[in-house]
Amino acid sequence: MQLTTAGQDAVTPALRKSAARRARRAQHRRLWPFLLPSALVAFFILLYPLGYAFYLSLFNYYLDTGASTFVGFANYADLFTDTRFWAALTRTIGIVVAAVGLEFCVGLTVAYGLYRLTFGVRALNLLMFLPHIITPVVAALFLKWIFAGRWGLLDSLFATFGFFAPDWLGDPAWARVTVVLADAWQFTPFMILVLFAGLNTVDPSQIEAAQIDGASGRQILFRIMLPSIAPIIAFVLTMRMMDAFRYFDTIYVLTGGGPGTATETVTMQTYALAFRLFQIGKASALGVVTLLIVLAFASIIVATVGRRKGRT
Amino acid sequence: MSIQNPGRRKVIQQLSAVTLAAGGGMGWAGRAFAADPVQLISHRYPALEFWAGKMKTAIPGVEVNTQLMPFDKMGELVTIAMSSKAPTFDIVYVIDSSIVSYAKNGWLRPLDDLWAKYKKEFNLDDLSPTAMKMCTYNGKIYALPGTINVMMLYYRKDVLDGAGKAVPKTAAEYRALAKQLNTPARAGTISCLKPTDATLNEAHWYMNTIGQGWFDDKWNPIFNNERGVRAIESLKEVTQSAQRGFASAANDECTIALQQDAAAMGLQWATRARSVDDPKQSRVVGKFEWAAMPDGHARVLADGYAISAFSKQDPDLLFRIIATATQEANMREASGMLVPPRRSLLQDPDLRAKNRFYAAAGQAIETATPFPPLPEFYAVGEFISRRILQGVTGEMPVKQALDTAAAETTAYLKDRGYYK
Repeated sequence: MQLTTAGQDAVTPALRKSAARRARRAQHRRLWPFLLPSALVAFFILLYPLGYAFYLSLFNYYLDTGASTFVGFANYADLFTDTRFWAALTRTIGIVVAAVGLEFCVGLTVAYGLYRLTFGVRALNLLMFLPHIITPVVAALFLKWIFAGRWGLLDSLFATFGFFAPDWLGDPAWARVTVVLADAWQFTPFMILVLFAGLNTVDPSQIEAAQIDGASGRQILFRIMLPSIAPIIAFVLTMRMMDAFRYFDTIYVLTGGGPGTATETVTMQTYALAFRLFQIGKASALGVVTLLIVLAFASIIVATVGRRKGRT
Repeated sequence: MSIQNPGRRKVIQQLSAVTLAAGGGMGWAGRAFAADPVQLISHRYPALEFWAGKMKTAIPGVEVNTQLMPFDKMGELVTIAMSSKAPTFDIVYVIDSSIVSYAKNGWLRPLDDLWAKYKKEFNLDDLSPTAMKMCTYNGKIYALPGTINVMMLYYRKDVLDGAGKAVPKTAAEYRALAKQLNTPARAGTISCLKPTDATLNEAHWYMNTIGQGWFDDKWNPIFNNERGVRAIESLKEVTQSAQRGFASAANDECTIALQQDAAAMGLQWATRARSVDDPKQSRVVGKFEWAAMPDGHARVLADGYAISAFSKQDPDLLFRIIATATQEANMREASGMLVPPRRSLLQDPDLRAKNRFYAAAGQAIETATPFPPLPEFYAVGEFISRRILQGVTGEMPVKQALDTAAAETTAYLKDRGYYK
């Protein structure tokens, strides 16, 4: 059978497309083995423990005696009717919003200041990054000696001027403020570094054009620079939010979740369930719930900032 | 449906081994062909560091690898290892509360046979009955005591004399005195209420002097009855005269407050007495005196060493390591760091003269009360201590806080098979 020239003209692009698809697939098949090690690592380090945690969450399992009974979703039901869980969740959200919000505002201000600075940027950047490179537990010990009552650094400073500072770690309200400040002290440098790097990626021609059009510094920042780095803001907020939701070591050292339950976050409660009450099933359920909550918040942040980027 | 999960055990065993290797197993690398070292895990304070050092040299040719860490951390590691029946640790530091818990779970080896065998050699009958009672569970001995520790009243004699006050004899006098001695520069009393252990220690005295104790004989909570509420109300009142930061203070912070002239008196462990007389640490050397707590009932505990039921080492060897390390001569050497559980040493006139706090410690032991022998006491203490603090700091009325703790405790114990 012979094809007409017109028929050949119609069929050839389709054949070409199909051949190109086949070639791409063949290439992908060749690339798959390269992904296998990463996939295996992801499976064993991420997915297997996650699946195992979910499996354990279906049992009333006590770590100390090893006694274990299948209870289905009863651990989840128990958690959702536990006032301590809701209090811890509300508190965690409060601490996360306050800490990450503070870090973002201070971080952006300092990053913008560094961006405008013409000298000493490197040295300042390095100095400001110091709190972030200290191991969290060690940093928490430093902070403990700063906030300790009576002989702590802050109290001593205040006492020099004849004031008695508030009970930073012993008063429930101040303890919450203190753990937020502690987190901000440690993680604002990370925020500064990422936002400063982001600001430096903004196309200078856009800024110059805006300046020629008579835009003020504030307008340039809010109308040009921030929208330009929206994906970076989404990234840094998501990272910090996920981190702050797992906020544990500093609180553990500073207040132990107290006074009472004043600074008890969901991770502190998970720790208490697992290692003080030995209720591994319930602790696993709380871990799974925490993961879902963090996932939901991260999705909201990415979607919101992404949409804003789309509008601009 | 129940699971017997070999996979879980295996995973936990491997995790324990990895943790151990990371924490203290560095010595293994260079001694691949030597006998396995004996593994000791212990809490850390000066007396325990001393015992750990003595264990290393107790039996010539036997290597003892020691891991010393904070109490909570140690408890976690022991629980992970023992619950998976892993032979990770051979000798385990225990206190009275952990003995009942670990022994109930079958994690400790009873020592009665070895005790009988070595009784004469190590003069074990000299150990005080109070200490031995706390090392015994269901009629079997599970630990050799290294220290008998008791909480007692620390007071600044110069401050009391200056104010024309006498040492308080009752809980009510103590409360009133704390208020009278309180000034902005120096708190009337220390208070250590960091959850869980420190809160329970301090509340224990209030609950046993003003209240009627923690539980009835069927393990029903009674700490929320009228007298229990009064006890915690009293604690709350005393904290008005306590050092700032009391709600997050444990023994270290409270000891520093005493050493730095930041508090006039308070409830603290006997093992801390020497440090307030140490010129390197204290601004008030020679100014503190000690007495049994007013109305008695402060907490007493025995801490010592037990042998893991899952150890692959020879139990006879492990027992000799512990007994040699804690023998009379070593206990005499460590006498300033601890209250010896041997009667001969506690009554020794030389040691009593050398350690000013011994007389008060002796009286405190006689009037003290141990924690309830409930294996789950530390677990339910998690609820109780946090709720007490909510009451003390005003986040919740005391009655409501204690009722909540009682409901949580009852639910937990019911789930663990009590009240049937």
